[in-house]
Amino acid sequence: MKKLEDLNFYELLELAFDASPFEVHQAYKEMTQLYHDDSLASYSFFSREEREKILAKLDEAYSTLMDEKRRSRYDQLLIERGILEKSTQYQGERMKLGLMYDAKRPSTNTALRIRERLKPIVSSNPVIQEVLASDVLSGRDLKKIRDELGISLEEISELVKVRVVYLHAIEDDQFEKTPSRIFLKGFLRAYAQCIGLDADMVASRYLKRIHD
Amino acid sequence: MNSTNPYSSDFMPHIWPIGGGKGGTGKSFLTSNMGILLARQGFKTLLIDADLGAPNLHTIVGLPNPAISLSDFLNKRVPTLQETVLEMPIHNLFLISGAKNKLDIANLAHEQKMKVLRAVSRLDYDYILLDLGTGTSFNTIDFFTIWDSGIFVCNPEPTSIENIYRLIRSVYARKIRQVLKIDRFRSLAEKAEAQNPDATIHHPEYLLDMLKTIDPEQGAKIERILKSFQFKLVLNQVRRQDNPKIGALVCKIVEKHLGMRIQFIGNVSFDERVHEAVCRKESFVDQYSYSQATLDLKVIIKAITGVTEEQAVAS
Repeated sequence: MKKLEDLNFYELLELAFDASPFEVHQAYKEMTQLYHDDSLASYSFFSREEREKILAKLDEAYSTLMDEKRRSRYDQLLIERGILEKSTQYQGERMKLGLMYDAKRPSTNTALRIRERLKPIVSSNPVIQEVLASDVLSGRDLKKIRDELGISLEEISELVKVRVVYLHAIEDDQFEKTPSRIFLKGFLRAYAQCIGLDADMVASRYLKRIHD
Repeated sequence: MNSTNPYSSDFMPHIWPIGGGKGGTGKSFLTSNMGILLARQGFKTLLIDADLGAPNLHTIVGLPNPAISLSDFLNKRVPTLQETVLEMPIHNLFLISGAKNKLDIANLAHEQKMKVLRAVSRLDYDYILLDLGTGTSFNTIDFFTIWDSGIFVCNPEPTSIENIYRLIRSVYARKIRQVLKIDRFRSLAEKAEAQNPDATIHHPEYLLDMLKTIDPEQGAKIERILKSFQFKLVLNQVRRQDNPKIGALVCKIVEKHLGMRIQFIGNVSFDERVHEAVCRKESFVDQYSYSQATLDLKVIIKAITGVTEEQAVAS
């Protein structure tokens, strides 16, 4: 039996190497249900530290496999180690986070609809425009924008599949609560994109403070 | 059955110890009603009340004052275990009661316990269901590890899930101890506990991790044994609002993190009439043969026998 730390991301999510983004998303959703703090099925089985470690690894696996470039680099690593054959690698369409919701919810397309609904509000709301006029963004600024848009962190979490605790950490500027800087950037991008903001702009203006 | 098990034999009956980590999960209810269903399908079935400290299976199957019990065999009042078997009014159904056990019998001496286990293995029945006591005492654990088979019962609530994991981990640790023998086990436990104080009691998986480092061959052997277990899980008293997938998820956690295979064989729906049937000392599956709980129990019986009710009756 392999230990958790020895599992590759596909093994961790119990996926085939050619799994589509939709399958990655479904597997991640099932796994987080199994391991999250309120899961009855795993109640008492893990210590808090063990649970956090598993969830952090699941988040890392998910964000890697849902990002086309990162997945490709990760697959290359597995190919070099003889774990994955090039022929079984996923060859599908682009897998940007923004597109993944098209893939996983082809009928309702909820995330895209919400984003499209929020975009005109972002561009016409004076409070939001004032916040965005600054070349540095804080967690409080993001919360201000979100409050104007009337969307909860729980709703964003459900749409982008980032745990609420991390979204809170972003708004509270508690960077240490996110697994790593790379994750923080990924979570920021997902958060921003979900509420109709420019993901790259938000990530760079927010992270600027950490650089400085 | 596992070939490393000295009690395994091609001629052995199907022996299913039934246990749960917590009182009130419905072990005796399941044992008695599964026994009745098996007997009605034509299988010669023996129920053994192995809840040595608090036996009450006789009451549930409607036999308030059994004349003979398991303690008569242990105290040598009868020479064979077979002589303690009581015939039930239902054709093909038999019982070894624990009703007259002495109050201190829950703490069976090792030799006495082995005597019972050996005697059970020699009995001639199609199915033997053992209703085990609550908790994680050696008397309960050894019934699981001796035949490498058993049915765990739990309810969809945190306390019950917590206790079933405790029971499963106890079985896991006991198996490692059985394979290594006592001195090697103690030495391994000391080393593991030096790194993690919880290793033996709460996280016996650390024992195996350490053993695989110290003695890879022995570690691989134990891994194989743990994988070959024939354990099953039943989720009892499942209400409409409960997540029906909990049982399967518990098995998944155990397999992924302990390397122990447990097959989830079904949910049994909560039915308040179970209480009524127990109070009236009547068979639930006969009184409420078309209830959801009875239908659920039939699904579980099929998972154990491998045949449908119709196929069993026809043969």
